[in-house]
Amino acid sequence: MFQNRAESLALALPAALFAALVFIAPVVILLSEGLRNSEGWSLASYITFFTTPLNLTVFIRTLKLGAMVTVAAAIIGYATALCIVNLPPKGRGRMVGLVVLPLMISPVARTYAWIVILGRTGFVNQALTALGLTDGPIRILFSETAVFIGLLQLFLPLMIIALISALENMPRDAIPAARVLGANWLQVFWKVILPLTKEGLVIGGTLVFTGSLTAYITPAILGGSKVLMLETLLYQRVTVANDFASASVIAMILIVMSFAANLLLKRLATARTKR
Amino acid sequence: MTSRFLSAFVLSIVMLFLIGPFLIIVAASLSAGDNLAFPPQGLSFKWVLKVFEIESFRASFAMSMMLAILGTLAALAIGIPVSYALARYKMPFGETVRTIVSAPIIVPGIIVGLALLRYLVIPLGFNISFALFMAHTALVLPYAVRVVSASMVNLRGDIEEAAVLLGCSRLGAFSRVVMPSIRGGILAAFILGFVTSFNQVPVSLFLSGPGVRTLPIDMLAYLETTYDPSVAALSALLAFMSIGIVFLAERFLGFSRYV
Repeated sequence: MFQNRAESLALALPAALFAALVFIAPVVILLSEGLRNSEGWSLASYITFFTTPLNLTVFIRTLKLGAMVTVAAAIIGYATALCIVNLPPKGRGRMVGLVVLPLMISPVARTYAWIVILGRTGFVNQALTALGLTDGPIRILFSETAVFIGLLQLFLPLMIIALISALENMPRDAIPAARVLGANWLQVFWKVILPLTKEGLVIGGTLVFTGSLTAYITPAILGGSKVLMLETLLYQRVTVANDFASASVIAMILIVMSFAANLLLKRLATARTKR
Repeated sequence: MTSRFLSAFVLSIVMLFLIGPFLIIVAASLSAGDNLAFPPQGLSFKWVLKVFEIESFRASFAMSMMLAILGTLAALAIGIPVSYALARYKMPFGETVRTIVSAPIIVPGIIVGLALLRYLVIPLGFNISFALFMAHTALVLPYAVRVVSASMVNLRGDIEEAAVLLGCSRLGAFSRVVMPSIRGGILAAFILGFVTSFNQVPVSLFLSGPGVRTLPIDMLAYLETTYDPSVAALSALLAFMSIGIVFLAERFLGFSRYV
């Protein structure tokens, strides 16, 4: 450990200054813009934002989709992670590789694939028509369902990875012990697996939830202007209406929620190291 | 036996959901037809070849490449010293500095892009390419600091002090003792930063001007007007590029140790 303060500050200064000037200052100004009007500080922009029905719909839809994607990812994530952890080491490595693979692919490409699958002439509609289940093509794109599917596919890997590492840290004989003592599978899950992997679930859940809240590409491609979410609404307000007050309010909502989630994560991480 | 069957069943469904869309993109890009479709109508490489002929894709690909490389290098140039200072020195406000340099990871990219455009680029009259460069550097900085810091954790300070005691200059000790042991971490940070920057959309949304666009933004714009398989082909090519880079990094570096 070196003690020279001046030296350490000189090393840290370029990065800190860069982040402060290029990033923190502009964002803070943007946030403050929503908290004032021509006369001074005021909550008028917030009141206008939350009393406009469309904005409220978008806000609730964003929270709802975020929650739904997180719950679905948790359920599928547990099932998948449990299967993967029980594989022999070689198969486990391969499966983890397959789970991580999509994270390396551009989100534009990953989301675009759903157009091929869900579009009017897409795979699903062709199959439905061929099977005679529908008269003509049904509209799946530009619906909440499409956005839900896209977000789930985008963020599920994060949940699976978080749960795998939580399950690997679980005492090996906890499950067999509970089984021997007469617990059925549901009890094993609720009373043994869930409490012991809670932290992994929270980490994965936070990543999936904040990821879904702040997603832009998926709602833009799969939701269009029919299914706006907070980020696509922000983009629209700025480009169509030059409405920076609303943009600032949305920015505040997104940042507060991301920070809250991050704080929760950090608290959990320190709680774990203390134990 | 039944549980093994069940496990295989669950895994194949989930993997189909995760990997399937990518395979469909690859298949659709090999179609001989003029519309985006799966199953593809006939087999040909015409759309894959067409990607290389589209002028705007070539320009925006070069733009994205340059941004990813220069932005990541710049982030490393300021990120390595700060990681070193945080690891080696008892620094006043150390935690504050760490929070400041890792803040861009928490704030959604679209907000960073908008704030930068409105309060820095327009008032100061920067050109868009330079603004994109700054935004991408800010975006990659947290990753650079995190990965390089992680590779410094197990580095022993006493060896470096010994080098200084034996008459090596501080800079010499850094380049001869510290650098060789964190080289892997730096390379891993570069790869992670490159992939992150290259695939990044939201931060660049507002930062595009006449003739200046990153590749993902260009693809989004192209999608709005055209419905042919060329974007599928480009997506597949890019995906193979990313996978190739990460695969090579894992093979030769043990990339996952650092990330």
